[in-house]
Amino acid sequence: MDITNVAELTGNIAVVGYGLAAIGPGIGVGLVVSKTIESIARQPELASKLQVTMWLGIAFTEALALIGLATPFIFA
Amino acid sequence: MKPSTNADQLFKKVLGQTALLTGLIASVGSVAGYFVEGANGVVSALIGSALAFVFGALTVISMLVGRRLSLAGFFGVVMGGWLVKLIGFALLARALQGAEFINGPVLFLTLVAAILGSLVIDSIAVLSARIPVVEA
Repeated sequence: MDITNVAELTGNIAVVGYGLAAIGPGIGVGLVVSKTIESIARQPELASKLQVTMWLGIAFTEALALIGLATPFIFA
Repeated sequence: MKPSTNADQLFKKVLGQTALLTGLIASVGSVAGYFVEGANGVVSALIGSALAFVFGALTVISMLVGRRLSLAGFFGVVMGGWLVKLIGFALLARALQGAEFINGPVLFLTLVAAILGSLVIDSIAVLSARIPVVEA
């Protein structure tokens, strides 16, 4: 029996790359938000300060996601 | 420069400073892009810095809007905005990829420069802010 092609995948491997690049920021933003909710539930009077700190955390993690999305422009 | 004394003031200040910085990076990037690939380089630099500004500004705006809502509303607006923004950006990146008027490295470098610059602005603004524990 002559088997030349058992399985075949078609598509762009960059999509898998972006999927991998999204894992880090996804976990990061999830952690930042969950800890902020916890903290606001414990000390609601600190909500303002915690929201600002949370925003800084989100800004840093989403920067990674944005750079990950833009990499096809140089690596394609 | 006067430190921000409440969160709304901080977000508005960051928005203004980020707009100035991305404008500056767009101008410098356009000149550099022009020398790299003429008009295509200029367009790429402008698109790159505009994307970085829109991306950062949407987070700040979602914070500004979300702060006026309940806790659940706040997280809904911020996280929903984040999700919509990422999907929008992915679709835009797909549409721009391979376009003839785009120079990939110029777009990427201006985008990264604008993102890093805006992160510096964000950090300085937060570190220098004097937000009281209980806002008046």
